[in-house]
Amino acid sequence: MKHNKDRILSMLLPLISLGLFFVLWFWLARAEDSMIPTPYETLLRLLEICRKPISKATLPIHIWVSLRRVLIAFFCAIVMGVSFGVALGWNRTFRALVNPIFEILRPIPPIAWIPLIILWCGIGELPKVIIVLIGSVVPIVLNTYSGMKEIDPLLLDAGKVLGAGRRQLLWEITLPATVPAILAGIRTALSSGWMCVVAAEMIAARQGVGFLIVRGQESGDTALIVACMLVIGVVSMLLSTVLIKLEGVLCPWQFSKTK
Amino acid sequence: MAVLENKISVRNLCKTYEMKGNSHEVLRNMSFDVRENEFLVLLGPGQCGKTVLLNILAELEQPDGGEIVFAGGRPRMGEIGFVFQKYALFPWKTVMGNVEMSLKLRGVDKETRRAAAQEYIDMVGLSGFEKALPKQLSGGMKQRVGIARAYASEASIMLMDEPFGALDAQTRYQMEDEILRICEKKKRTVVFVTNNVEEAIYLGDRILLLSSRPSSVKEEYVVDLPRPRKHTDPAFLALRNRIVSNTDLNI
Amino acid sequence: MKLKKKNQIKYFLLSVLGLAAFFGIWELSVRLGWVSDRTLSAPSAVIETLIRKLTDAKPDGSTLPQHFWQSLKLALSSFLVAVVVGVPLGWVMGYYKVADRLLTPLFEILRPIPPIAWIPIVILTMGIGMRAKIFIIFLAAFVPCVINSYLGIRLTDPVKINVAKTFGASPFKIFTTVCIPSSLNMVFTGVRLSLNSSWTTLVAAEMLASSRGLGYMIQLGRTLIRPDIIIVGMITIGITGALLNKLLALLEKKIAPWRYRDEA
Repeated sequence: MKHNKDRILSMLLPLISLGLFFVLWFWLARAEDSMIPTPYETLLRLLEICRKPISKATLPIHIWVSLRRVLIAFFCAIVMGVSFGVALGWNRTFRALVNPIFEILRPIPPIAWIPLIILWCGIGELPKVIIVLIGSVVPIVLNTYSGMKEIDPLLLDAGKVLGAGRRQLLWEITLPATVPAILAGIRTALSSGWMCVVAAEMIAARQGVGFLIVRGQESGDTALIVACMLVIGVVSMLLSTVLIKLEGVLCPWQFSKTK
Repeated sequence: MAVLENKISVRNLCKTYEMKGNSHEVLRNMSFDVRENEFLVLLGPGQCGKTVLLNILAELEQPDGGEIVFAGGRPRMGEIGFVFQKYALFPWKTVMGNVEMSLKLRGVDKETRRAAAQEYIDMVGLSGFEKALPKQLSGGMKQRVGIARAYASEASIMLMDEPFGALDAQTRYQMEDEILRICEKKKRTVVFVTNNVEEAIYLGDRILLLSSRPSSVKEEYVVDLPRPRKHTDPAFLALRNRIVSNTDLNI
Repeated sequence: MKLKKKNQIKYFLLSVLGLAAFFGIWELSVRLGWVSDRTLSAPSAVIETLIRKLTDAKPDGSTLPQHFWQSLKLALSSFLVAVVVGVPLGWVMGYYKVADRLLTPLFEILRPIPPIAWIPIVILTMGIGMRAKIFIIFLAAFVPCVINSYLGIRLTDPVKINVAKTFGASPFKIFTTVCIPSSLNMVFTGVRLSLNSSWTTLVAAEMLASSRGLGYMIQLGRTLIRPDIIIVGMITIGITGALLNKLLALLEKKIAPWRYRDEA
């Protein structure tokens, strides 16, 4: 009996909480001279920008522009970050030479690079890609490097007694053993990259979701802002869902569930 | 005829670790011989440096002093089979991938090494599990893969570091019979480390009892009981009592 | 042993060499005119500007210490409020089913929205004063605190809870004496994440809407085409971020020494 009551309660409570959320939102929006749009207004605005272009692009195009910037930078970041991290972890000379420089640059948040990058590259596509690259390469390097440092020494011993040379130890043992750490870094990198593209577009861009949200601010169009926030959130959620699915495929020994 | 020839001669092996200014002497003047194709058990209390000794034999670590002579010269890496207590299977490789690893590292082409590995997978009774990942296997099955992987390197010397130490008692007895069956089938020189007296007597042709740290060989026992041995055999129990009363207490 | 020492010296020298090459090439590339001094300033010029900015308010209206203090004040106060509110909330959500069911869906909605995306709506509704920025940074720091404390409770080893139950502990007693202590590891991870997040978000918020602070300073440096000011700002931001992290690590060591036992 009690069990049944628990189940109903656990199903009902999330609904209650979402209901309260919308009531609160509605109440805030209806308050005297409130700037906040109602949920309904937001939804209307969302549907409208899907059809009516702002700055020569409809919402799907803006999303695509932002996504393209992220994806280009993200793939460069994977290639550069993994090779750099592996070199750091594998070669002591390289590590001694380069790690101090990396350690100096690392604490600077990617967003703080925006002004300098804009000075260097203007306001075209390139600066946005570079900023996202900076934002996503660092977590990949860090995870790859620490993954290599924390590899189970037993696996290296097993490789050695099976006759692996130094090169084979790297390619056959160390790299596969580091894949889970690299994938974890890639996941952080993607969400950091998405945040960076929004920031970069908010500061200087003519298209993209970050631009759209600032346009909303400039024209006092709060329904547009909230609609953009929802879009940004949903895209970010979708990106991480896709990555988690991909991890199961790429690295079944670590991530996928088995019987 | 070749049975009594020394396969490995260990002389005056010493090893000391420096840790935070303290030095821990692990091996002191360790000397013994391993004969060709015998099943030699090194029996010693926990923490007595058995693993270090095996690591030195496998060249994973360097001794501070003493020498090791192999009949026919120092084997290269990959020419000694090693079975780890914690399996040390490659989690990203299937059973087949793990067993064929030594051949792959040697550059043997895919078909040949697959065929060779299959023989060893069948030998340890894992036919049908070739495509399984280690995390899908039970402890006993994992160690079967570990044994198959070591044997597949075609090494004439097998070093086994408490291979059944992480298994539950039931599986352990089963695996002891299994390893004897395999040794019967594929003659190899086996150095088997354990801290379990019954296991030592059940398996070994010869037992070397090690002292606690710094360890050296305390006593040699030749086990001439007929196989298959029985744990309840009076001769078995008598030998067990002799060894136990001579064993250093492990604090 | 000898060899080890020799190696250490060798690698230390290599590190020095790497740094020297980095700064040397940077300096030379500006001095020799490979890159224009309108896009990059030489390290020597940056140091000069850094020293001058310690007391000089030109051209951005405030001295470096004023910018710095403004930013630090904002970031730390919002961060502290977020920790004080967020961690206990995460604990309660993790332990009490009703709170979990009621609040977790809200966090699932809020979580994927980057804190930066909150800036426009907050500025429009709350203006560009301190209040707006504190709210934005609070949001940035709040979410990781809650989520990690929540997970910390949820990941408590059930064996420990059962042990407490056999001693006859009440649910509240179990919550305070078993679950909270064993969640601390995750809590510290969350606090660290939220510190980083609040510092980054602060820079973004100041870049978008402010008249003082380090983020404002580098943004103005861009408008004025003064790379030296931008780089001084970036260095200050980077060093402060690193120092805050170090400080937090020291604090953790004091509060939860078991976390560091392995590294010692």
